[in-house]
Amino acid sequence: MNMAVLIPLCIVYIGIMSGLAYYGYKKTTTKQDYLVGGRNINPVVMALSYGATFISTSALVGFGGAGSIFGMGLLWLAFLNIALGIFVAFAIFGTRIRKLSLKLDVSTFPSLLGKRFDSKFITVFAGAMIFIFMPAYTSIVLIGGGRFLQESLSLNFNVALFVLAAIVALYVISGGIKAVMYTDAFGAVIMLVGMMVFLVVTYNAVGGIVDGHAALSAMKNMVPDSLAAGGHQGWTSMPVLGSPLWWTLVSTIIMGVGIGVLAQPQLAMRCMTVKDDRALYRSVLIGGIFIFFMTGAAFMIGPLSNVYFMETSNQLAITAAGGNSDLVIPKFINEVMPGWFIYLFTLTLMSAAISTVSSLIHLQASAFGEDIMRTLGIGKDGKTMTRIGVLVGVTAAIILAYILPGGVIARATAFWFGICAAGFLPTLMGALFWKGATKAGAIASIVTGFAVSIFGFLFMHVSESGVFGLSKALFGKDALFAFPWTHIDPLFYALPLSAIVFVAVSVLDKSKSVSGDVEQEAIAK
Amino acid sequence: MLGMESASIAIVWLLTVLSAVGCVVYGAMMWNKGGH
Repeated sequence: MNMAVLIPLCIVYIGIMSGLAYYGYKKTTTKQDYLVGGRNINPVVMALSYGATFISTSALVGFGGAGSIFGMGLLWLAFLNIALGIFVAFAIFGTRIRKLSLKLDVSTFPSLLGKRFDSKFITVFAGAMIFIFMPAYTSIVLIGGGRFLQESLSLNFNVALFVLAAIVALYVISGGIKAVMYTDAFGAVIMLVGMMVFLVVTYNAVGGIVDGHAALSAMKNMVPDSLAAGGHQGWTSMPVLGSPLWWTLVSTIIMGVGIGVLAQPQLAMRCMTVKDDRALYRSVLIGGIFIFFMTGAAFMIGPLSNVYFMETSNQLAITAAGGNSDLVIPKFINEVMPGWFIYLFTLTLMSAAISTVSSLIHLQASAFGEDIMRTLGIGKDGKTMTRIGVLVGVTAAIILAYILPGGVIARATAFWFGICAAGFLPTLMGALFWKGATKAGAIASIVTGFAVSIFGFLFMHVSESGVFGLSKALFGKDALFAFPWTHIDPLFYALPLSAIVFVAVSVLDKSKSVSGDVEQEAIAK
Repeated sequence: MLGMESASIAIVWLLTVLSAVGCVVYGAMMWNKGGH
């Protein structure tokens, strides 16, 4: 890449982002503005911001690389991302989340659950879970962005990490959610253009849709032995039912990330930022297109890169990338895309990193200032505490990036999505759809969901328990139980258990709260 | 089908494309519904 082009381009990009953040700052006067954008954010901005927060650098580069290994079966996740992550999240969950948050006069996800069940414990516990476990997820996104800046701009990694963190902290402290969402939306437009071009050029390079797929199908006898032993049957087939690869694909990638998205606080709270249901319906249109060109395109491009590398250099994509799946997409871009695209993709990845980190930091800060401190009566208005929360969140993410081993950081996304789904999803669904849900049921479900999923990640699911090392230290082995438990994502059993506990305790609970009836009527209209 | 080895992969490829199209159609149909 030519630095004489790239550096001015980056300066212009940062200039536009800073201008948007400043615009957000000028438009932010009240606490409502800072936390939920005054509940009057444009639906296009909301949908783009939701999408850009959803998709980080790891989703574009990591998912594409994973696709080059696993094949097109990963498209089940892309389908779930659009069907659940956009349509259900906006049109079914989002409309009720918006009305309930308005009725209860709350501006954060933990407060929504806590006030719905009249429980300060839920607000503080949910806020604490976010504040304790999210920095690891933030730091993986920060590291992804930092590594990328290091490679593309030849910056020192430490400098890249601090520059990225400082930019984000400045945006979030000054302009709150408005600065976050305006800069997200600008980044999302760049991401959308970049991935659209990438998908079209890829299909063109492999001979079109049907011919490209047929060429990939014809490669099924080239599956490496190690993958074939795990159940791989080619890039246009699913792995053997029940094989280790099948369990990994279905339980972690498809279910974990596919369902986990519905209970992500930083995504669910986006629905509180628009003024009416119409805005949410409009967001479905933009969101569907955006996510298709992100995860959908990544899972089409990754597998198809094998066809290109086989035709041009007689090797698989993963071999061409030197065995590192994260390098498949950068390598493929260098080979197949025109020179100018590399600059566009640089900004695409930078946007993906900044948009996700800024939203995570905003969520952590509001969990600290609004959900924990204000609920406990420390700090009157929550605004100052929230801004202190930004600094604490950014600092924690940077420290974790340096002190946690690489293996632990790499599993942070699956860990976070898994515990959120198990801990929050049954209670969120109960809050929105079931008037018989009770405070005791919600508390029991949240505690069960978090406890069981965290136990599973620490002691049963070998890809996390192996790197955390706690199981080995206490019991002398990486995981307590044999296959298939070692390959089943904890979400798979923690979520049903959390849901069963929620229903059972609510049904058996004699001290039924009547508030549910009133709220259900208000949000079901 | 669609050049895929297994029908389930062809189906999920189509589902992915159609779900995005479905979002566009739904958003367009509901464009003026649910206002204040």
